[in-house]
Order: sequence, then C-alpha cells, then structure tokens
Amino acid sequence: MVSILEKIQRDIYPYLPLTITHLLQQVDKAVMRSIIEIRLRANRSLQLVLPNCNYAVQENGKLNSDFQQGYICSEADVMHTIQAMSKNSFYALEQELRMGYITLEGGHRVGIAGQAILNDGNLKAIKNISSMNIRISREMKNCAVPIMPYLIDHDTRIFSTLIIAPPRCGKTTLLRDIVRSLGSKKINFRGVQVGVVDERSEITACKNGIPTLDIGDCVDVLDGCPKSTGILMLIRSMAPDVIITDELGRKEDVVALSEALHAGVSVITSVHGDSIESIKYRPYVRLLIEEKYFDRYLVLTDQPQIGTVKEIISVKDEAVLFLR
Amino acid sequence: MLLKLVGSIFVIFAGSYLGFSIAKRYIKRPNNLRQVLSCIVSLKSYMNYTVMPLSDSLMNCAMGANREVTNFFITTANLLKNNYLLLPQEAIQKSLILHRNKLSLTKEDCEVLLLFGCHLGEMNREEQQKYLTMIQKRLEILEGEATALRDKNSKMYRYLGVCGSLMIVLLLF
Repeated sequence: MVSILEKIQRDIYPYLPLTITHLLQQVDKAVMRSIIEIRLRANRSLQLVLPNCNYAVQENGKLNSDFQQGYICSEADVMHTIQAMSKNSFYALEQELRMGYITLEGGHRVGIAGQAILNDGNLKAIKNISSMNIRISREMKNCAVPIMPYLIDHDTRIFSTLIIAPPRCGKTTLLRDIVRSLGSKKINFRGVQVGVVDERSEITACKNGIPTLDIGDCVDVLDGCPKSTGILMLIRSMAPDVIITDELGRKEDVVALSEALHAGVSVITSVHGDSIESIKYRPYVRLLIEEKYFDRYLVLTDQPQIGTVKEIISVKDEAVLFLR
Repeated sequence: MLLKLVGSIFVIFAGSYLGFSIAKRYIKRPNNLRQVLSCIVSLKSYMNYTVMPLSDSLMNCAMGANREVTNFFITTANLLKNNYLLLPQEAIQKSLILHRNKLSLTKEDCEVLLLFGCHLGEMNREEQQKYLTMIQKRLEILEGEATALRDKNSKMYRYLGVCGSLMIVLLLF
C-alpha cells in the first residue's frame, strides 16, 4: 500500500510551486503523515491542518502556531497552483469550478474560493481564485469492517444507511471502505453488485473513468456525474443491489434517492451534520428522515480520532444498536 | 576543360537545388498551415465534446496530420504533460524552437501560433471555442496569403535557380 507521504509526493507536489514544495519537503515527516489539509491563501501564510490544530509553515520548514510567522503565499503561488491542478484545462473543469472544487488524481479534493461571476443571478464561474484547501485523501483499508455487520441483513440484503458527520470526520474514507467491503467477499459476505455515483471523484479517485483505488471486484462507478442523474442511470443500466454516493443535500438528490429506495435498491450515503436532530433542520434531507426512508443511521465523530463511530441506530426498531 | 565542365555541372546543380529548396518552402507553408488548421478544428471538438485535458487534446488532435505538424503538437502536449507548471504558450514556444526549421512557417505564422497558446485552457468551453475560432480565422487568412505566394513564387524560384545557375556558367565560359 502506498504511504501517505508517497501519495502527497506523487499526487500533490507536482502541482505546487517549487518554493512551496521545497518548504513542505522540509517539514517533519511525522507531521506530514498526519496532515488533513494544506491551505494556500493569497498574501497569507501557508498552513497545514492537523487533527487538532493548525500551523503555519515557516520559511525554514518549521511549523509555527503564529500564522504571522509563516511563509506568505503570493497571488502567483495560488494562481500557478490552480493552473497546474487544472492541467491548463479550465474548460474541462467548468462544472467542478462552478461548484467550488476540483479533484486531483488520488481522490484529493481541492476546495477553491475567490470572486464569483454571476449570470442572471446564477453563479457562472469563480475568477481571481485567492484561497485553496487541498484535502488529503486517505485510504484506510478495513476501517469499515467493524460496522459491516450492522449494515448487512442476514447475508441477503444491505440496509439503506445514512452516515451523518460534520466535515473532516472520515465520511468519504468510510464510504470508500464500505464500497470495497461490499464489492468483495473478504468479510464473510456473499458480495453484491455495487453502484457508485462519485460526483466529486473522491470515493474511487477515477482517472479517465477508471478507479485508481482498490474498491473491490463488483463495483461500477459513474464518475463525475451528478447524484440526481447518476442514481437513476445506474438503476436503469447496471442493476446494482446497492448504490453508494456521497454528501446528500440538494432537492434533486433527495428525489433521486427516494426513487432508488422505492425501486428496491439499497442506498448508502452521507450527509453533513453532527446528529440526527441537527439534520432534521436541513430542508430536503429532513423529508428522508421524516418518511423513514433509511434502515440505519450511523453517526461519526472526530473524537477521540477521525472516523470514530459514535452511534448506530436502527430506524425501524427505533433502537440504538451501538453507542460510544 | 574537364575541370570547367565539372565545375559548371556543380554550379547548375547547386543553383537548381537552391531554387527548388526555396520553392519547396513556399509549397510547404500553405500545406503546413492547412494541417495546423485541421488540428485546431479537431482540438475544438476534443475540448468541447470529449472535454479532455489540454495535453491529451493536443496529442489526439494531431493524429492524421503530416509528420512535421504532428511532431509540433505532440512535443507541445508532452511538455505540458511532463510539467504541470508550464504554461501552454511556453510549451508552444519551446516546441516551435524545436520544429521551426522543419515546419516552413514564417515569423508571422509563429506569432499566431504563440497567440493560440496565449489563452489556451484558461477559459470555459464557450469562450475557448470563440477564441479558437478567432485563431482559426487568422490562420485561414495566412493560409490564403501563403497559397497566393506559393502560386506566385514557387515556379519563379525553380526557374530562377536553374536559369541563374546556367547564366553563371555562361558567364564563366
């Protein structure tokens, strides 16, 4: 398995300006192994986000909690990075840039912020990109194994499950391992046909439509496709037993999801929130909770560490199956 | 006498070769510009329909073109693929330096090619199409001019090469 340092070196350094790459190469390797995000902001310090704290990177590669002491990223640093990450192909990332992110090979998501260009009140593009947040994608093999018994119904079907967690709690990493576990027969389970709608190319890290991560043998991936369209396409064309997708939120996602659930296909997906109560306030997701579309709710937390399962609830029985 | 004869033959061959090679450049230029134009039309499709990254689009659009033009596009694509921090214009410039002698293009043609690289990949699909259409039109104008020059000059240089060298021989005798 490729180590996280190798992944950063292979997937991220080629896009960063040489000065920044040189600084990051001087940072302590143990720190680099645990970083969650690299943040670049024009005329502000280069920052590393670690599980419990943020640091600025100084010109000598040392970390400092005082952001004023860090290496100041120039506008050119940010501009060159985004230009390199887009591979000089902004036209190919039109949709992603409009949604505020691009995904690098290896599944690392890069969030962007800058000046919005509006057309008839709708966001047309983002120009003058001034901030970038490079989120390091991690492949934690077997991290879903302990929860799999809660997701499988007598070795026959998969429970439709909603994973609830705030950002940076390991939703995508867990979903990726669930895909791998369901798509292979390694967990003493017969294995099912899995369909993945990977709107942001994060779960399977596809390159030219082909997954670059180990995701099991029975998995079909619809890469870069909006969830609302992709879920229905997969049902019609690939006959999956379970559909897995990430970050539910829009009205059309909820409509497509209810279509899938009514078509007898299980769905495992995630949503931002810190508890079931909190997501009840979200306008569209609330409907799914009220109508009890899911069989299981799985709540994640980052305490004591990222990816910790806080609670597993059986919706039909209204019972807590696991509580930390 | 034999030396004079051999010298005359050499002068005729050299003069004719010079004339023919200048004429060849006039013949090749519109052909090369036409090939570049067809690559740009193809590039527009790769950008708009298959939405491939620039380096892959450049690589694919050159398929079927003649060797010189294909090499120019493939070198540009490889430069971009191997160094993400390189700008398209810089890649085109480097590629032109490598292939300019084989491409039979004038300074003006190269300027349009550099302009072609100037905003390549920086815009959304719609704007990129408009930009490439503008480049296409400029290349079409240059191609028209190159065709007119070819018709006017290619025969002239061939004759000039042969006749000029014959005249030198006559003068020498």
